[in-house]
Amino acid sequence: MPRFVREAFLLWGRDFLERRLKLKILWTVGGVLAACAALQPCAFGASQTQQPHPAAGQAQDADKATNKPATKIVVDETGRRVAVPINVRRVVSLAPNLTETIYALGLEDKLAGDTTYCDVPAAAKDKPHVGGTTNPSLEAIVALHPDLVLATAINRWETVAALEKLGIAVYTLDPHTVRETLESIMLLGDLMGAHEQATALVAKLQSTLDDLQARLRERPLVHVLFLVWDDPPITIGQNTFIADALRWAGAESVLISDQDWPHISMEEVVRLAPEYIVLAGDHLAASDPTKSNDLRHRPTWDQLEAVKLGRIVVASDEMTRPAPGLVEAIVTLAHNLHPEVFGNAGGNSKNGKIEPGLQLVEAHDAGVLCAL
Amino acid sequence: MRPLTPQKIVGICAALLGILFVEGVISLRMGAYPIGVRDIVATLYHGALGQWDVIPSEFLLIVFKLRLPRIALGILVGAALSTAGASFQALLRNPLADPYVLGVSSGAALGAIISLILAPHTPGAIQAAAFAGAAGTVAIVYFLGRRGGQLDSPTLLLAGIVAASFLSAVIMFLMTTLSGRDLRGMAFWLMGDLQSAPSVDLRWLYFLLIVAVGCIFTTSSDLNLILTGEQEARHLGVNVNRVKLVVYIAASVLTGLAVSVSGAIGYVGLLVPHAMRMLFGTDYRLLIPTSAIGGAIAIVLADTLARTIVAPTELPVGAMTALAGAPVFIYLMRRRMR
Repeated sequence: MPRFVREAFLLWGRDFLERRLKLKILWTVGGVLAACAALQPCAFGASQTQQPHPAAGQAQDADKATNKPATKIVVDETGRRVAVPINVRRVVSLAPNLTETIYALGLEDKLAGDTTYCDVPAAAKDKPHVGGTTNPSLEAIVALHPDLVLATAINRWETVAALEKLGIAVYTLDPHTVRETLESIMLLGDLMGAHEQATALVAKLQSTLDDLQARLRERPLVHVLFLVWDDPPITIGQNTFIADALRWAGAESVLISDQDWPHISMEEVVRLAPEYIVLAGDHLAASDPTKSNDLRHRPTWDQLEAVKLGRIVVASDEMTRPAPGLVEAIVTLAHNLHPEVFGNAGGNSKNGKIEPGLQLVEAHDAGVLCAL
Repeated sequence: MRPLTPQKIVGICAALLGILFVEGVISLRMGAYPIGVRDIVATLYHGALGQWDVIPSEFLLIVFKLRLPRIALGILVGAALSTAGASFQALLRNPLADPYVLGVSSGAALGAIISLILAPHTPGAIQAAAFAGAAGTVAIVYFLGRRGGQLDSPTLLLAGIVAASFLSAVIMFLMTTLSGRDLRGMAFWLMGDLQSAPSVDLRWLYFLLIVAVGCIFTTSSDLNLILTGEQEARHLGVNVNRVKLVVYIAASVLTGLAVSVSGAIGYVGLLVPHAMRMLFGTDYRLLIPTSAIGGAIAIVLADTLARTIVAPTELPVGAMTALAGAPVFIYLMRRRMR
């Protein structure tokens, strides 16, 4: 606080002690200010507790009557009852996978806003952002006038509860497997009045998966270590959709854990001796032999059989998002883990090999989805 | 130096309240949703008159359901934490004392995390459990901190520090058992968060705040004497043990109530009382009320910055208090040394 403020206080105080007239004036001013401040909390308290104020309630009902004509009560994937408008016009997406699904269903015109992490497809970056996934601004969401907010388990409970308190419908999707991801796409399509698009999309994705399963049926599962983070190593638990996606790609996580994102010790990695190491998304540096960060240059890691043989695969970003792009990511991963089945076609042919034995898959954008 | 008169106390407090009021209005104007000053004033005016149907529903939502409750919560938390800090500093005669050093916030955090594990997503459970955790820790630290039937400051401080580190270790252990979603919520809670409004009626919390601050304020002359030395205070007729007990309980209630609604917001309890001492002197009759108002000013300012600086994303308010508080504190400290 600058010096003049303190001096102002002191001057003020001196004046007001020595001159009776000024004292009276200042007493009055001080009293008024104190009264204002004393009333402030009361007013807040009143606005807090009298939320269903009769007049305010009427105003909101009238608002609903004009803007939100009809709602239906549905139960979302976390078991909450939500009054969702029958005709959804404006949605705000609070997670990248939801944004991607909305675009895949061709519903981007209804998407009023998304988060700063929504980068697939590239057009999603141009939508108004409401903040990150864990700390979006409630005000920014309100400002977009959504009639429905879509959330997933990566959002906080507090955010969902606060939006609900403000009278905004929040529908939460929470897929734990690949099949549930497809169901979620279907649900989202139904919710937003795009039943046909969703049916077509899900059918296409399902047939791709069925085809993949038919070709991998005879193959033994490859034991992989899936790293969502490479330093310190963090892998996946059994209940994540990534573990399920690995099974569809003809692989199995070496670690059995009930935790979703367990930290794994190097000793455990050595003991489990994975056949392949799969890195998630943007950890390209850890699989590029020209970089010092590469697993081959790290102590202990360089002694692993999988690393010595160069069996390090980078899965696309999509592998960590329960969205339509997940299926394409599974197919590409399957091509990399079972080259003999697919005749070394697919992902490898596009990207080429950096060195013999190393199979590198670059992140695919959503454009690939259309080619599916 | 001229003696402290009631007029001086009221004058300074009125001036500080004026600053807080102006700051509140400015804070009401700032945010991701653009509202002009005129609209804010109109909304407040109609709201005060009870003409709710005149106000556009968006303004009603933004001003009365988002910004005002948040500012009210900020004032509550700031006043509570910094009064508690000033009291603990007198009680322990140690300038480093604040609610966090005594393990109270760690106890509250432990309560919160246990409620997340046992009864996830029950409305109000986190706040109740955090309050219980704070109260439990206060009781344990109090009994550990007694020596020969008396509250011994160094022992109490040590007991608090040990309790804080032990509880933090338990929190770290329990956090590994949380699922991703709760973990994210907990991380925010540990850094301090005013966005998620409490389910408890704010008026009850304000009532508690006023009672507790009032209790501490009535003992402020005794605190002045205790600061010169406990023996001296006893010779001058102060019932030291009773004063200590009253202040200790009141300050703990304040901490528990602040932590239970906002999570662990650091620095305010330490920085604000010292800043007020540097500005207005060390007399506790003046320090208690100015700390309360100063703490409210600090938190409202920090929260306004936290929700506007990186808009539309929000920073945890705890990060903001340290970021903005430390330079101000260093400035005041250097100035005093000159």
